[in-house]
Amino acid sequence: MKDNKIKLMSHLVAGYPTDELAFTAARALVDGGASILEVQLPFSDPSADGPAIQGACTEVLKRGYKTEDGLIFIAKLHKEFPEVSIYLMSYGSLVYTPGVENFCKKAAAAGVTGMIIPDLPFDFDEGLTAACQKNGMNNIPVAAPSMSPVRLKKMATAGFPYIYAALRTGITGTETSVDKATIDFLKATGEGGSKLYGGFGISNGNQAKALADSVEAIVAGSVFVRIITENKDNSEDLYKAVRAKAEELTNKNN
Amino acid sequence: MTHSDNGFFNSFGGKYVAEVLRGPLDELEIAFKEAMADPSFIKELETIQRDYIGRETPLLFAETATNLLGGAQIYIKLEGLANTGAHKINNAIGQCLLAKRMGKKRIIAETGAGQHGVAAAAACAKLGLDCTVYMGEVDVRRQQPNVAAMELYGAKVHAVTSGSRTLKDAVNEAMRDWAANPDTTHYVLGSALGPAPFPDMVREFQSVIGREVEKQVKERGLDVAAMIACVGGGSNSIGFFSPFIDKKEPVLIGVEAGGIGDGVGENAARMTGNAGREGIMHGYKSRFLLDDDGQALPTRSISAGLDYCGIGPQLAALGCSGRIKFTSARDDEALNAVKFFAKNEGVLFAMESAHAGAEAIRLAPTLPKDKAIIINMSGRGDKDVFITSPVFRKTEWLSFLHSEIERLEANEDIHTAQIMGK
Repeated sequence: MKDNKIKLMSHLVAGYPTDELAFTAARALVDGGASILEVQLPFSDPSADGPAIQGACTEVLKRGYKTEDGLIFIAKLHKEFPEVSIYLMSYGSLVYTPGVENFCKKAAAAGVTGMIIPDLPFDFDEGLTAACQKNGMNNIPVAAPSMSPVRLKKMATAGFPYIYAALRTGITGTETSVDKATIDFLKATGEGGSKLYGGFGISNGNQAKALADSVEAIVAGSVFVRIITENKDNSEDLYKAVRAKAEELTNKNN
Repeated sequence: MTHSDNGFFNSFGGKYVAEVLRGPLDELEIAFKEAMADPSFIKELETIQRDYIGRETPLLFAETATNLLGGAQIYIKLEGLANTGAHKINNAIGQCLLAKRMGKKRIIAETGAGQHGVAAAAACAKLGLDCTVYMGEVDVRRQQPNVAAMELYGAKVHAVTSGSRTLKDAVNEAMRDWAANPDTTHYVLGSALGPAPFPDMVREFQSVIGREVEKQVKERGLDVAAMIACVGGGSNSIGFFSPFIDKKEPVLIGVEAGGIGDGVGENAARMTGNAGREGIMHGYKSRFLLDDDGQALPTRSISAGLDYCGIGPQLAALGCSGRIKFTSARDDEALNAVKFFAKNEGVLFAMESAHAGAEAIRLAPTLPKDKAIIINMSGRGDKDVFITSPVFRKTEWLSFLHSEIERLEANEDIHTAQIMGK
């Protein structure tokens, strides 16, 4: 019988709402079937994120949270869930300011295996791809449907092992419909042989099923951040709600 | 370095944006280049600059100020006389005309001091475009007169409550809107920063200031030693300096917000302060106020328009190469400059421009009388009455506000009653 489980890359903001609850959320995600954890290092100006994630980042930063704290959190996740890949998502400023090479070295040491930095575009990445390779990680560029066919082809054939396909224009956190245009975009993005992660506005099992055959894993972010926010006063409820949503998206119980 | 080289000014500039914004930026870049090479577009722009903006703006000899300071002759380029009260209209009209040419029906803009928002709203009203202005909640509070003007021009003002609730957060929100609606919407960025082609585009639309100065200086036979402009993001300064960048003279001076001190969070000095460093944020590489991790640091200035953590990439590059000399003026120096030029010249500087005025007050006495210095008065200070009045005449202002509140609460507003047909 064909395994109908769907691979899930799930997103969480490091340190949100607390380190402890963020860890509980990570455990729920893994128990719910997530095979990749995309951990966002909070940034003061997350221009590609929607209100749910930006609000979470702002709250964490108010506590004086530093990059170092985020990497300690990641190291703890890596130790606890060694079988789960951890991708670090953030913005160019946090990577560029301390030095790209320096940042990548520290990230790799914490257990990161991939970097997703949307505002360091693949052809002006300040050496991110090379620094990732040097440190045993992948730079995972983000493709968007609004890219010109020429530019998309350039990215698709640049030899990236993985590409994150943002499934519509706009920001994270609003609903995306998976239609023929979505599937065509995914085909074009994967043309050069890169494995694809597909996300942006994925919040339910039906979307996940519609995408499953076209991607290596689906990506869901804001939906989890919202669930975490709604349940941040009760650790047990938070665990249950996050796990249930992960199970829905991974089709785990079917 | 009058233009970017593929979006870069030396190492600064670029298009450091998520791919969702790359398409709209590339489309804009092509449209901008085509428009600037089209004589019919330039003619339409020049006509509206003359008839609507009121160009050219005068170059005023500040005779009393010159005599009082006892050094170089002080001239003031009166951009505050442009329709809507500041240089911002030059760029807003240029970009809105371009947007119309591109077939866009909707304009979004971000604003700090409010002057760019007012300019964008007015330009949209003039050109028949729908307008939404993003403004940090903090700025909405301190720039109510401008918010009222924007709404009168028909714009929707969206108060941004995320982050520090100031200009940088309004920029983020506007970028998000644009990323979601690139087909119908043009983002009129208000300063010479952000991803390419904005720094080139804003400079070109603002360079009308510098071109007029060049002509006016020649007509009067002035020997100009220095040109001084305030620098937030840097749109008035780069436009004012633009024709002079490739020349060795005059000295070009950019004045940053010195705020209340040298400490972190006390100013917005990216080029002259302690916390300015190279970074990548808001789509471009430049100098920013950042901590060691790369997080934006808080800024402070009495002038909302200078209260921003980054500086336009071309200005940063010209500062690093030494062509532009950067300095800063503190809040109290700017307030003194407002007073000085108001009393002695009958010119009410905007708080932003008053930073340039403060530098002129320091510089003029050190130069010989046969030299001239030119201050770019980027905007006029009517909008700042809520900032300056509590400083200059606190008791009277308090009493005025109390009486206004009482009057409003008692529903004695006869004008409103008339409009509502009561």
